[in-house]
Amino acid sequence: MSTQDKVKINKLSTGVPGLDEIVGGGLPEFSFNIIAGAPGSGKTTLAHQFVFANATPERPALYFTVLGESAIKMLRYQQQYTFFDPAKLPGSIRFINLSQVVLEKDLGAVLEQITKEVEKANPAVVVVDSFRTMVRKPESDMDLQSFIQRLALFLASWQATTFLIGEYAEEELRDNPIFTVADGLFWLRQTAERNSIVRKLQIIKLRGQDSVPGLHTFRITDAGVQAFSRTFGLTARKRNPPTNRRLCFGIPELDKMLGGGVREGDSVLIAGSSGTGKSVLATQFIAEGISRGEPGIVAVFEERPEAYAERATSLGLDLETPQTDGKLTILYLRPLDLSVDETMHSILDAVQRIGAKRLVIDSLAGFEMALSPGFRADFRESLYRMIFALTGIGVTILSTVEVDESFTEFPFSTYSISFLTDDIIRLRYVSIDGQLRKIMVVIKMRGGNHAKDIREYEITEKGVVILGKRLTHYQGLISGIPVRVDRLGSAEGPPLDTGAEHKS
Amino acid sequence: MRALAQRLLDYEAFAGETSEPGESATLRVYEKLRQGLGEFTGVAGFQSLASRALALARAEAPSLNALRVSADGSLHGLREIQLQFDIDKVRAGEFPAGEEELLLIAHLLGLLFIFLGETLTLRLLRVKWRGAALDDRNSENGRKA
Repeated sequence: MSTQDKVKINKLSTGVPGLDEIVGGGLPEFSFNIIAGAPGSGKTTLAHQFVFANATPERPALYFTVLGESAIKMLRYQQQYTFFDPAKLPGSIRFINLSQVVLEKDLGAVLEQITKEVEKANPAVVVVDSFRTMVRKPESDMDLQSFIQRLALFLASWQATTFLIGEYAEEELRDNPIFTVADGLFWLRQTAERNSIVRKLQIIKLRGQDSVPGLHTFRITDAGVQAFSRTFGLTARKRNPPTNRRLCFGIPELDKMLGGGVREGDSVLIAGSSGTGKSVLATQFIAEGISRGEPGIVAVFEERPEAYAERATSLGLDLETPQTDGKLTILYLRPLDLSVDETMHSILDAVQRIGAKRLVIDSLAGFEMALSPGFRADFRESLYRMIFALTGIGVTILSTVEVDESFTEFPFSTYSISFLTDDIIRLRYVSIDGQLRKIMVVIKMRGGNHAKDIREYEITEKGVVILGKRLTHYQGLISGIPVRVDRLGSAEGPPLDTGAEHKS
Repeated sequence: MRALAQRLLDYEAFAGETSEPGESATLRVYEKLRQGLGEFTGVAGFQSLASRALALARAEAPSLNALRVSADGSLHGLREIQLQFDIDKVRAGEFPAGEEELLLIAHLLGLLFIFLGETLTLRLLRVKWRGAALDDRNSENGRKA
């Protein structure tokens, strides 16, 4: 059947930021859906958002409440959310209590009552909350199945998009007739991960369209439920084709080492131990971008934006003005219970808001610490998704990572994430002539050739400054304890302090 | 809250004069509230609210002790109280006749304001009192008894 012969299924906005992307563009009109999950998982709030987003005076929403939370209290609490528009009550949204019918009569009477109200109101949306309490004591499974099927058939025929809300445990998923009948099944989970609460949403099934598989984190704030797609809302966007454009650091010698700068859309890792100047390099990278008209984002986790900007000022870099001008956003993300998806959402918002071309994540260790403990286990995988998504839209990412300095090995990262990066710049301390000096080397550049030189550098009031030419008088520099060699190649043993004169 | 209760009572008193003379305005207000709110609170939900409102009103007007809220939320004993009011009319009372009934309605509305807030409560009331001026802001345009 050709595309034009197929029936078009309208998609309704869920009213939940991020959820439309997850369900494949919106909820299919006239679908019969179930929101399941434990108490407190956000089922009612999600349904309310859908109702408020879709109810109109012409096609209102009927919200049937059954046993459980009283309607008065529900309205009392739900009106605290910003999506709650009292002007929609009671003209566009009607709350109808069915508890009396449920308590005194059977499922047939409940169906009859719902039918009567639906025929009277001609609603676009019907919610039954909590559906579970209504079918707690079915006479038999067949009765329940029959009831559900009749209800689903009736509501679909009356062109209503339906949500049934129920408290279900995951083990009840199997062989449940309700779930078989449903077109869409939304499962909300709330789990404690050490001291943090992690909320996750899964679309277990959704007929008629592709939804994004997997568990998506969500948060409940004053604005209601906000979902964070695992694909960060970027699935529909085409990946930018790779370019050969180079992005400079503004440090001439380093840019030369990089063959003119890092390639646009690359993921760059700057690895080094504490005090080696990772953040300084990152700041120079951002500042240089701004001076070239490339807006930037700095995601900081270990210090506040004001302190970050002040430190830049001490290097002669102005990060205050570009913030005022909308060319730079410094994001401080440290609530300690974030998911990567939420962090990504904040970053993406900022990227889209200012059209950022450069992003600094300072640092990966701080990023990991800002996450809820439950998400730390998935840090590497999450980082992969984040980097893939952002570089795909042309953002160049520079991440800093602290590595333990060792004099027996030369690690690039404690996260085993070097495969996620296109370019790696390694900074380290070396003991030369009785001084602890700093060297840098470009380890890898996926997009092209780069200098193999090991260069000494200093952090001055102008930032990172590379000294002289490559260090040719030492062997074993990357070990941190080099051996001085003469021009004929004979080793002299560990150098003595000779007054810190730089040899090139 | 008393002002709002008074407006509803006045409205129903005026409506009663033209449609169903003799029926208590208080009972008409109460029944409209029961029907309007009962749809979403359920019978038991409204009954609980009404019982609480009656308890609060009784604390201020012990003469309301004869009133009862039944399981279906309906109000009983109002007629007996009103007869007693007529008998007591000549005596110097703590409240003018009808004041106790006003208290009951005021407390019921007060509970709705507490639980749902003013905006939502007024929106729900307007379903049953479409032509009535429910707040000071539109009292100029609404019908005042």
